[in-house]
Amino acid sequence: MWKYLIEKEFKQFFRDPMLPRIVIVFPVIMMLVFPFAANMEVRNINLVVVDNDRTDVSAELIEKCTESGYFRLKKVCSDPREAQAMMDKNTVDAILTIEQGFSRSIVTGESFPVGIKVNTVNGTKGSIGSQYLSNCIMLFMQSRTDTPAVTQAQGETIEASPKYMYNPYMDYKVFMVPALIVIAVTMVTGFFPALNIVGEKEAGTIEQMNVSPISKTAFIVCKMIPYWVITFFMLGMCLLIAWLVFGYVCKGSLWGVVLFTVLHIMVTAGLGLLISNYSDNAQQAMFIMMFFVLIFMLMSGVFTPVSSMPEWAQIITYANPLRYYADAMRSIFLKGSSIADVWQDAAGLLAIGGGALTWAICSYRKTS
Amino acid sequence: MNAIEVHDLSKSYGKVRALSGISLEVENGEIFGLIGPDGAGKTTLFRILTTLLLADEGSASVNGLDVKKDYAAIRRQIGYMPGRFSLYQDLSVEENLEFFATVFGTTVEENYDVIKDIYSQIEPFKERRAGALSGGMKQKLALSCALVHKPSVLFLDEPTTGVDAVSRKDFWNMLARIKASGVTVFVSTPYMDEASLCDRVALIMHGKIIDSGTPAGIVAKYPYTLLSAKGTPMYPLLKYLRGKEGVINCFSFGAEHHLAIDSSVTDARKILSDMTEAGFKDCDVHRISPGIEDCFMNLAGENVRK
Repeated sequence: MWKYLIEKEFKQFFRDPMLPRIVIVFPVIMMLVFPFAANMEVRNINLVVVDNDRTDVSAELIEKCTESGYFRLKKVCSDPREAQAMMDKNTVDAILTIEQGFSRSIVTGESFPVGIKVNTVNGTKGSIGSQYLSNCIMLFMQSRTDTPAVTQAQGETIEASPKYMYNPYMDYKVFMVPALIVIAVTMVTGFFPALNIVGEKEAGTIEQMNVSPISKTAFIVCKMIPYWVITFFMLGMCLLIAWLVFGYVCKGSLWGVVLFTVLHIMVTAGLGLLISNYSDNAQQAMFIMMFFVLIFMLMSGVFTPVSSMPEWAQIITYANPLRYYADAMRSIFLKGSSIADVWQDAAGLLAIGGGALTWAICSYRKTS
Repeated sequence: MNAIEVHDLSKSYGKVRALSGISLEVENGEIFGLIGPDGAGKTTLFRILTTLLLADEGSASVNGLDVKKDYAAIRRQIGYMPGRFSLYQDLSVEENLEFFATVFGTTVEENYDVIKDIYSQIEPFKERRAGALSGGMKQKLALSCALVHKPSVLFLDEPTTGVDAVSRKDFWNMLARIKASGVTVFVSTPYMDEASLCDRVALIMHGKIIDSGTPAGIVAKYPYTLLSAKGTPMYPLLKYLRGKEGVINCFSFGAEHHLAIDSSVTDARKILSDMTEAGFKDCDVHRISPGIEDCFMNLAGENVRK
């Protein structure tokens, strides 16, 4: 009987005009487009230089900055007010001020005044831009003198988050690939089975099943199994694209990836079932799921590091299964962590998954 | 032992009392009709009897099995066809039938003789997806699926709602054949004219059974003389007749009005002459024998008055 139930789900899945295509197209687009589009790398920062030194040394510094490829030199002027006016008009993103006596202090090795001012209306661009700029100056100093230079940034002080440590070139694609797998898995395992169950509710077929001797648990489990199979197919496809297109291979064990995916599936299955219990039609289910998935994604560290969130928001993320899954996937994929290294993530997923499943089963019984 | 027994069954949805103290008995091997308008509580009763819903009070049993305790056993013995078509639209005719057979732990081949009569009519389309069938064919498929595991009691919730007149007749013929094979059929319908096709009926309104018995028995109990009156304009005539002395009640039935009269006070001839005198045109009044609908209207009216 189980075999037949699963067979039926597969048949229905492949007969759906949309679902099989979505399962192929969705991860492919995610993997091929998002790493490039959802790029945190900042290029083409418009720069104006206020050069009061006007020496070879200052010219060399300017050249050093522009040849990095991140900056576009708009103008070199000597009036700070003019530079400020340009920033006010939004024509430049950063101002580099080189004070008089710059070349002299380089020679004597004293501290010297170089100012950085950035426009942080676009926070990411501003903070990353100022970081690049100070890096450039630092490198320049090191090449000129053997003593490490000290820079004083007038703009935003940069809090470097740990993610940069394992990705020193700030290659955002490496960082995004495991995260995109996380999103794809969540969408497929969370949305599809829940919508399928609600669909049976809408069609009234669930009533027909309820008057049959088949147990509800068997019915639901048989419903989910095909989606789990599909999830692993998708996971394989994502890993393959990561390897073929980007040349990234999982640094840790693939079994770790599989284990965490199984744990995560348990969580999303519980949540999906829970949502389908409380909604009567697909629209309701869809909106509730959108709500949760958006919050889960934004507060998971997938896009913005958890460590740079305010304390209270960080506390909320402990209730977010995606936080654990994303963290584990990144650790295993990028750092090559073993399962023992990320046991907290496994514990978190187990706790949330167990809670969600228990609640779902209780509420499911009650509605019958 | 009766196929279905219901004692003082009540069910409320919040403040709405869907069923209040219903009792009825369905004998083995009969077609029992539950007749009443929309919202009378028919589907609620069906859902309780098919173990989909729990009653607040009272007890009910199917084949002697309690709907609450022995729900698992009941599910193996009954067939249920809900009012709405609820098969898998994306599976083919054959796949649906096989699926339902498998779910009940049997096969189509094993019970083919039970469904042969009905299924043979749609068998030429067995490759077609259920969603692409016409209304009549969908209904036949649904009936086949409800019968494929050889149930001893068949529950049909408003099977003829939204079905054309010819298909309705067809459907009742099928029910007669199903009954002949020994299956008890419990069917609900809002159409009063289908009552005469049942062995016994119960009239239900506002969650109460207002009468039950054989269709002939119910009609025989009609206490008044019934007249049919015609005349234009229709609506003022209805109001006029209702105000007349000796008229107990008067309801509009299509192009005529049916009026129950106290024959000791008035008669057809007197009403006809009064109508003509009052200025109504094309008048005609004659005596008719009451149908189930007349009985229902009368009983419903009494019930409201109580």
